[in-house]
Amino acid sequence: MKKGFSTLIVVVFAALLLTACSNSGTTGNDVEIPEGATEVVMWNLFSGGDAGYMDEIVTAFNESQDKYFVNNVQQEYEEYYTKLLTSVGSGKGPDLAIAHSHVLPELVSQGLVTNINDYAADVGLVWDEFNQNVLDVTIYDGNNYAVPIDTHPEIMYINNDLVQEAGLLNDDGTPKFEETPEGFVSFLTSLKEALPEDKIAFAFPSAGEDPYRIWWALYNQLGGENIVSGDLENPTYALDHEKAITAANYIYDFYHTHEVTPINLADFYSDFQSGNAAVMSTGVWATGTWETTEGLNFTPMPFPNMFGQEAAWASSHTFVLPYYNEPDQDVQKGAVEFMKFATDNGTMWAKAGHIPAKDTVVESEEFKEMPYRSEYAEVADYVKYADRTVHARGIQDIVVRNLDLLWAGDAAAEEVFSTIEKEVTELIAE
Amino acid sequence: MIKKQWNQDLKAIPFLLPFFIAYVIFTIFPIFKGLEMSLYEWTLVRKIEFVGLENYVKMFSDVHFWRTLWNTTFFVILTTPAMVLLALGLALLANLNTKLRTFFRGSFFIPSILSVSVISFLMIFMLQPYNGFVNNIIQMFGINWEPMWMADRGLAWVTIVVVTLWWTVGFNMILFLAALQDIPASLYEASEIDGASRWDMFRYITLPQLIPIGRVVLLLQILASYKVFAQILLITGGGPGGATRPLIQYIYEVGFKQNNLGYAATMSYALFFILLILSIVQLKNQRSGEN
Repeated sequence: MKKGFSTLIVVVFAALLLTACSNSGTTGNDVEIPEGATEVVMWNLFSGGDAGYMDEIVTAFNESQDKYFVNNVQQEYEEYYTKLLTSVGSGKGPDLAIAHSHVLPELVSQGLVTNINDYAADVGLVWDEFNQNVLDVTIYDGNNYAVPIDTHPEIMYINNDLVQEAGLLNDDGTPKFEETPEGFVSFLTSLKEALPEDKIAFAFPSAGEDPYRIWWALYNQLGGENIVSGDLENPTYALDHEKAITAANYIYDFYHTHEVTPINLADFYSDFQSGNAAVMSTGVWATGTWETTEGLNFTPMPFPNMFGQEAAWASSHTFVLPYYNEPDQDVQKGAVEFMKFATDNGTMWAKAGHIPAKDTVVESEEFKEMPYRSEYAEVADYVKYADRTVHARGIQDIVVRNLDLLWAGDAAAEEVFSTIEKEVTELIAE
Repeated sequence: MIKKQWNQDLKAIPFLLPFFIAYVIFTIFPIFKGLEMSLYEWTLVRKIEFVGLENYVKMFSDVHFWRTLWNTTFFVILTTPAMVLLALGLALLANLNTKLRTFFRGSFFIPSILSVSVISFLMIFMLQPYNGFVNNIIQMFGINWEPMWMADRGLAWVTIVVVTLWWTVGFNMILFLAALQDIPASLYEASEIDGASRWDMFRYITLPQLIPIGRVVLLLQILASYKVFAQILLITGGGPGGATRPLIQYIYEVGFKQNNLGYAATMSYALFFILLILSIVQLKNQRSGEN
């Protein structure tokens, strides 16, 4: 009996281990393809609200015509690029895929994506309709290797009720502050003083990507341009340390000097969503979440441009056509047809909060009638993307990890950037 | 006689074959493939060129390799003794003939059946600053302290070690418990007749009888601890600023984020050799102990 118990437990344990390792291995979903339609398998990396809106676009496309059928397969984001790179590399990937703009250099330099120019002309995709600043991120050596769906910059949100309570809201609903480094800080410190102690002036994490994005924005506002520049595969180190340090120390002061942001917030989204934070900063995708939160009275706006030049961190979701030696041209044409459809119907995608890539969409009445979006649509004109290099993801890891030390107060800015220089130089030397 | 033996062996083959094939495809083949990869410049997509031992040379001067290897070793040093001793203590407790026996066994083992993501998010939820469960309890007692369980360099290690102990100690406990139950009752009866105290029984019967399984637990524990990855990735992300980043996380980042499978394979091999040497030392020890 005694032994029976422990044996049973070991068996249960083994069974649990085994069930943890099952997965399916096909490219597409098992869906019924309408008769006569050509199937286009699309992989996407979305989750949450984004995934739902992309699904709506796919359904609308499939219903709008009967020549092509887009089979939309949602992949897990964490392993998405590993899976995409390896599967396309071995010729077993999807017909159409979604990729972030900062991953395009890797895809292009490894020859994993197809030049879309010819198909674009064929299906009537007009490049002039796109926002030039956003379109640029998809052009390599004068060729279009991707179709941008949106740009999603890091912006700022304010809780109107709390800012009003602190007496810092103008009659037109905008917050009262001068767009200068001192002006923004004094706005945040006044908020802190005026609000009850359990409210947060500026809800913002002290680790990870969000502070890195604001650092990147401020560095660019100061006139800094790159971390590395030059050749896609063999770039040179180009960080302007003086500007980088100024930008980083400005953020450091939020946590440690002015103490408007409590350090190590576990979930700054929920702090803002529950009405406990007056200001927060994150990507535009939060708009879709805030507007469906009952009782949250908020305004989105660009993160203040305080240091001279206008700049904001952003990335873009883009459509790419994976490269195959012997592609089915009809399938590829169908894929590009869908790219045109999805970008033409950018307002459907804007529901998620993203800024549509086409100027024609942003200027349309339909988009202007959507609440909130127009408050920050202009940011698309001055977004600053990550450096164009195959090392973009590796560099971001290094910078984020080292900046975290500064935010935590474990190292000074000078020290942090000299480590970054050393690590980035080693990475790009490979 | 020999022929009969041969005949029997032959019959065993079809039963062994299915597992053997899977073993070759999923374990033996990748081992050699990995060795090949470590000698090449190799991206996620394809083999680029043969570079000989270049990756290995690079590894010896790579500060991140040494730092993350130290982090992993530090974790092994912190967890292994605690894991073995705690498991032994819990097994003794669970073996006591009390009403709470089933409760002890169940509650010590239950964390082990949860997946790493479940225990990690449970812990993140409980340990978060400002409104986390643990910090609220601390402050309920009037202590004005806001520990950053996941963001402070020292406390991050405490968190990871405690979480790992709580999560995996049950498995070692089961091994000890099984061994405890294998000790013949006659030994205790004989010693009782000879007038041994409970402490004598423990000291001269229970402990010596547990040494073989203790060795197994120690070896398994060291191997498992050196492979630590998922709970650290999920709870601290290797942070703050790389302070808790284990070797496997670095291997993962190099391979899949920096697109350098060749170098990642090289470091995996380094870890493999470290574990191989530790295993050999321990098995040798065991044999000399048995003689």
